[in-house]
Amino acid sequence: MPKIGVLLPRSTYYETIGFDLFEGLRSGLNLYGFQDVKIVTENIGFGSDKQQCYRSAEKLLLEENVTMVIAYIGQRMAQLLRPLFLAANKILIVLDSGANLPTEYPSCPNIIYHSLQNSLGAWLSSKQATEDGYFSAGMVTGYYDGGYLQTYSLCNSFEQAGGQICFNHATGYKENDFTMEPLKNYLDEFPKSALLSLFSGDYVQWYFSGIKDWISDKKTTIYLSPFGVEETMLQKAVFPNCKIKGVAAWSKNIDSQENDLFVNTIKKAGRTPNLFSLLAWESAQIIIQVFDLLNKNENNSAQTISDLLSFEFVGPRGKVSFNSKTNTSVAPLYEVEIVLNEEDGMCKVNLLSEIKDTKKAFELLSELEIGLATSAWYNSYVCV
Amino acid sequence: MSSQKKIVILCGGKFAFKALQLLAFENYLCGIGIGKSSSLVIEALETESENNNLDFKSFPDKKSISEMKSWIEKLKPDFIFSISFPFLIPENVLSYGKEKFINFHPGPLPQYRGPMPIFEVLKNQEKFTAISVHFMDSKYDEGPVIFKELLKVEQDDTYGKLAVKLSNHAAQVALNMANMVQFAGKIPSSIQESKDAYYFEKPEFSDTCIKWKNMTADEIIALINSCNPWNTGADTSFQGEHIKIIVASLYNQSHQNTKPGTILAITEDGNITVACSDDKQVSIEVLKTDIGIITAKQFNFQENILGKKFR
Repeated sequence: MPKIGVLLPRSTYYETIGFDLFEGLRSGLNLYGFQDVKIVTENIGFGSDKQQCYRSAEKLLLEENVTMVIAYIGQRMAQLLRPLFLAANKILIVLDSGANLPTEYPSCPNIIYHSLQNSLGAWLSSKQATEDGYFSAGMVTGYYDGGYLQTYSLCNSFEQAGGQICFNHATGYKENDFTMEPLKNYLDEFPKSALLSLFSGDYVQWYFSGIKDWISDKKTTIYLSPFGVEETMLQKAVFPNCKIKGVAAWSKNIDSQENDLFVNTIKKAGRTPNLFSLLAWESAQIIIQVFDLLNKNENNSAQTISDLLSFEFVGPRGKVSFNSKTNTSVAPLYEVEIVLNEEDGMCKVNLLSEIKDTKKAFELLSELEIGLATSAWYNSYVCV
Repeated sequence: MSSQKKIVILCGGKFAFKALQLLAFENYLCGIGIGKSSSLVIEALETESENNNLDFKSFPDKKSISEMKSWIEKLKPDFIFSISFPFLIPENVLSYGKEKFINFHPGPLPQYRGPMPIFEVLKNQEKFTAISVHFMDSKYDEGPVIFKELLKVEQDDTYGKLAVKLSNHAAQVALNMANMVQFAGKIPSSIQESKDAYYFEKPEFSDTCIKWKNMTADEIIALINSCNPWNTGADTSFQGEHIKIIVASLYNQSHQNTKPGTILAITEDGNITVACSDDKQVSIEVLKTDIGIITAKQFNFQENILGKKFR
C-alpha cells in the first residue's frame, strides 16, 4: 500500500488546524476513490522550529519511506527542506497560505505549492479600494500578520493604481498590547482614507471590537485579505457598523456542486469546513495526479512536477491550475462584503462576485521586484 | 537543538565569495582556505577573514596541500565545503572524516566531470546546467551525489554570465547544504552512474578553435560564448593572423553554398557576416586582433575583406 506523509502544524487560535487538514485530506482521497493509501502524520509544532520540521520530514522520507510529503509550512521552511527532497528524489506538496512573497520564487523541480493566495488577495483587495475611489489609505495590521510580505503586496498594488499609503498602524500581538486608538487620529487627519487591513484569526475579532464604538462616524471602508474574511472567525467577530469589503479565497456559500460536496462531506465527518480542510481536500486531487504521473514517469520526480504544471481540476473554489514559473497553484478568488448578522450582531460574509482572472494577476504579483524587503517569520501562517 | 555546525570552505577565488558571505552571515563559517588565485583576491580574502575572526590559509600550489591536514585538524570543523578549489584533496586529508568533505561542482554530474564544466555545457548547447553537490573521494568529481540544483542556460549566456549566475546560485545551495548538515540525521546520496560519466580535461587550443568547415552557425556561436571572457573569445585565423572572436550572433540567411569561413557582407551595423557549414551565417560584432579588442566595424577598415576567409 502506498504511503504519504503529512506534516501537521498547530495553532493557538485555529485550535483544530491539524484535524482540519487531516480530515480534508482523508475525505478528499476517499471521495476520489483513493482509499488504499496509508497516511503517516508528523507534528511540527508551529512550523517555526527548523530542527523539528527537518527531522519530521526526514523521518517520513527515510524511515517511513513515503512517496511524497504534504506539509502546511511557509516558503522559508520549504527552502530548508529543499535539499532533503532533492537528495531523496521525493515530492513535497506545500499547502501554502500564500501570506509571504518569497524573495526569489522557488523553482525547485520537486516542490509544488498549493496556495490559498493570501498575498494575491491583499493585492486585489487594494486594487478594489482604488476602483471604489480611494486614493488615500492606511495599512492596518499587527506585529504578527505584518511580518509577512503580504504587506508589500497590499501597499504596492495600491500605489501602482495611483493611490498613496498615508499612514501605517501595526499593533501588538498580545491582547493587552492590541490597540486601534491611533486610527482615530489618522482618520481625522486623512478623512477620505481606506483601511487596507491584514489580520487573521482572533486578531480580526480584536480589530473589530477595537473600532466598533467610533468607526461609524468616519467615512472609510475596511478592505480585508482572504484570512481576514475567513468565515469561522468572522462569525465570532462583532460587526463594527462600517463598510467592510474584501477578497475571499473560499466561502461555504459558493454555489457549485463541488463546493456542496466538500461542505457536506466535511460536515458529515463531524467537522466545520474551513480554509484548512479546503486546502487539504483540494490537495487530494493533486496527490492522485502525482501518483499517476510518477507511475508514468517511472518515479522521476522532476518530470512528474513538470507534467503536473499542465494539470487543472475543478474544486470547491472553482478551477485550479498552476503557474509554471513558480510551481504555484492559482484558483479563483471572490469579492465579498462583510455585513451584520441580524440574529446575533456578529459578522457574516456576502459573496458578491467571482474574480476569474487571478492567473494573470498572480503573474504580475510574482514578477514584483521586492528588493530588500524580507520576512523573518519561519512559521506556517496563522500558527502562533 | 544541536550546536551550530562549523564549516571550512576551500575555494579558488571570486566564484565562492557569495557563498562565503552567506555562510559567514549565518555563523557556519570557521575558516577559509584558498587555492591558486591572484594576489589581489588572496589579500582581500585574508583581510576579510581577519576582520571576521575567521581562520585563513592560502594553498598556492600542490606542494602546499601537505599543510592542509594539520590546518584542518587544528580547526576541527564538522564539515569541509569545496567550491572551485583547484587541487585534488589527497586521501590523507580526506581521512579526517568519512563524508565530511563536500564539493559543489558547477556542472551536471556525472556527465560533466572536470575542471571547466561551464565551458563544456555552453559549448554543447545544453539547456540546463546544475550545481552538483557530492561527497568527495580521492578522485575528481566522482563521489556520491547528494543533490543537484538545476539552473536554466539562457541562449545569450557567455562563460562569464553563466559563471556569475552559478556563483550567486552556489551561495544559496551552500546555505541549503549547511542547513542540511546542521539538521539532518542522515544525508542521502547516490553513487554516480558510470555509464553516464565523462571527464572533460581543461580545454586546449584545439577545443577553443573554430572549425569553419565542420561547425554549424549555432555551434560556432556556442563556442564563442563559451570562450568569453576566460579565453578572450574563440580562436581562428585571418590572413595568417591569430584572431579571437569575442561576440557574435546568428544571421539567419542562406549563403548559397559559399565556402564556410568566407566573409560575405558588412551589415548596416558594421558587423561582418560569415558563411558557416550549415547554410547559415554568423554576424561578428567584436574581435581581438594583434592591435587589440576591436569592433567588427574597426576590423572592416582593413581593405578588401569581403570574400576573404577565416580559417
